[in-house]
Amino acid sequence: MTSRETLALATVALPVLTGLVVAVVPRRAVQPAAIAGLVLSGGIAIALALVALTGPADLEVTDWVVVDAAAGLMVGVIGLVGLASALVSPAYLETATSGLFGARHGTRAYYAALAAFVAVLTAVPLAGNLGAAWLLVEATTAASAILVGFSGKPRALEAGWKYLLLTSLGLGFSLLGIVLLASATPGSSLDALSWRSLSADVPAGETTLVAFLLIVVGLAAKIGWAPVHNWLPDAHSEAPPPVSALLSAALLPAVLLVAWRVERALEPAVGESTGRTVLIGFGLVSLAVAIPFLWRPLAWKRLLAYSSLEHMGVIALGVGFATPLALAGVAVHIAGHAVAKALGFYAATPLLGHEPRAAGHAVTGIARTQPSLGATMGISLGALAGLPPSPLFLSEILVIAGGFEAGREWAAAATAVLLALGFVGLAHALVETTGGRPHRRDRSHAPGLRPVVALGGASTVILLALAAAAFWLPDTDIVEALARGIG
Amino acid sequence: MSGTLAWALVALGLAVVVVRRRSVAVGLVTAQALLLAGVATAEAESADDVAAALALAVRGVALAALFLAIVARTREPRPVRAGVAPFVRAGLAILLALAFVWLVPPVGLETEQSERAMLALVAFGAAVVATRRATLHQLLGIVMVENGLVLGAIELPGGASLAIELGVALDLTLIAVVAVVFHERIFAEFGSGDTAVLESLRD
Repeated sequence: MTSRETLALATVALPVLTGLVVAVVPRRAVQPAAIAGLVLSGGIAIALALVALTGPADLEVTDWVVVDAAAGLMVGVIGLVGLASALVSPAYLETATSGLFGARHGTRAYYAALAAFVAVLTAVPLAGNLGAAWLLVEATTAASAILVGFSGKPRALEAGWKYLLLTSLGLGFSLLGIVLLASATPGSSLDALSWRSLSADVPAGETTLVAFLLIVVGLAAKIGWAPVHNWLPDAHSEAPPPVSALLSAALLPAVLLVAWRVERALEPAVGESTGRTVLIGFGLVSLAVAIPFLWRPLAWKRLLAYSSLEHMGVIALGVGFATPLALAGVAVHIAGHAVAKALGFYAATPLLGHEPRAAGHAVTGIARTQPSLGATMGISLGALAGLPPSPLFLSEILVIAGGFEAGREWAAAATAVLLALGFVGLAHALVETTGGRPHRRDRSHAPGLRPVVALGGASTVILLALAAAAFWLPDTDIVEALARGIG
Repeated sequence: MSGTLAWALVALGLAVVVVRRRSVAVGLVTAQALLLAGVATAEAESADDVAAALALAVRGVALAALFLAIVARTREPRPVRAGVAPFVRAGLAILLALAFVWLVPPVGLETEQSERAMLALVAFGAAVVATRRATLHQLLGIVMVENGLVLGAIELPGGASLAIELGVALDLTLIAVVAVVFHERIFAEFGSGDTAVLESLRD
């Protein structure tokens, strides 16, 4: 077993082990055991990411496991966000009760489900074949739906039910596409579904095209691409904040990576232009659907959820344009979005303690009533809006430039216009949320603020580093490896 | 697979679309799963195929036990009304199935009937999710979609991978268990498993 395979195995096995330990240890040991396990898992995931990204030309590809630059990037993001979510979970649990599991079992159920979610989520980008990737994506639904409905409040039950049903139905259509693909491909089914075999063996034809469309449309329901995104704002706004962070910053791009791998693998059969046009189409529609919501005064977590729709659209456009510039933009965008979005969701715990109205209404003037919380929210929203020096400003420029480089001038121009409109909406929200007229003037306590402010400082450093990385990334081996893919 | 068996699977699926009682719908979906397990056993060519057929039967029985237990634990004062009348639901489901058969090119399963039956079951399952309001009926719609896909996997010329088939069975069971947890909590919160009460999240 190679060092990459060993690390990949450890990255997935550790959160599984954490979940098992959490299920059996005495009640008072649940939280320390869970946090220790998830922090260690996150550290190993980041180590695997560093190995994959510092040697992007050295691929590890079998029928079951793939460790390439794209998997390394995603595993690193999942490790980082999983680790941070574990660290802020105690503050959330201090303010919450579980209606789904009751007060006695709530903490244990929360950490067991969180560890299971992190385990299957980490395995998604490492899956070496389409069948395994589908199984893992479906498994993320079961683990994360429990967490979405954790509070047991009516709105959380509604969000969790919609999430469970719509994504399962979408993935059902994806599985139909996989069955069609398997029927069109010679050879035994599992070998035929490995990324390399799909690329080499799938014949061109109507069946393959229909299969491709079914798979991508089904995955789109899980990625939250418009117009099949209905569950996304509800689930992201009603889940516990540490879980919302994982859903938005890690789950959506991880499933997007599967859709991208499908497109890359089937390009020889369905045509390069067709496959990429489908991704660009989803990207533009997602941007267009998200913009009107970014202009409206929305509750903090719902605003962040619609921003996820926008950013998944940007990433879809980047992988659809598929030039080195666009792919450099995608890499920076996935990492920058994860850091900024996770920070925004983490800020929701102290925000809801400080201003309970924030659960259902837009809040204003937080920087005046609670400056450090306002600053943290400002860093998150400013970065998500693409306000320079946010790395998302640079990544969006790279994606647009990549669109022109790919000869997709109309799509690139439309992207620029839509992103400008989105920027205006989020910039307005930034000004109002932080510096607007506050609803309350007292400086009351904001529970769980300290770890969030600490993460805000760390996030600022990472965001600035990513902004610097955006300048040299287009000419690196990492982008070359992303462009080359597995084949 | 014979045309009679394919039609029997489709008829069971259409019955799920129109029936009112949850327990009857559970029985129909379970009969469908057991029929599929029977077909898989009859067509098995290796030990892997037999194991997959066995897993299918176990899954069908386990889900039936789970669903019937939950029906008993969450008695509705009266059956939850669907938003759409039974004949309209059946019409919509058949139209969707015909659209699927028309849109999807021949895919090379063992027989043409099995291709059409697979697409019909997927369409009927989607129609149940879209037109029924009872949480358990919606869940049965998802199970029916998966039953259709299992039929496709059984009728693949080379057979499907055992690992993938077992994984799908396990995933579906996990989803069903989580959905049942939600159903119980929704029933406890609202006094009914009617999704019409779940409409507070709007922008």
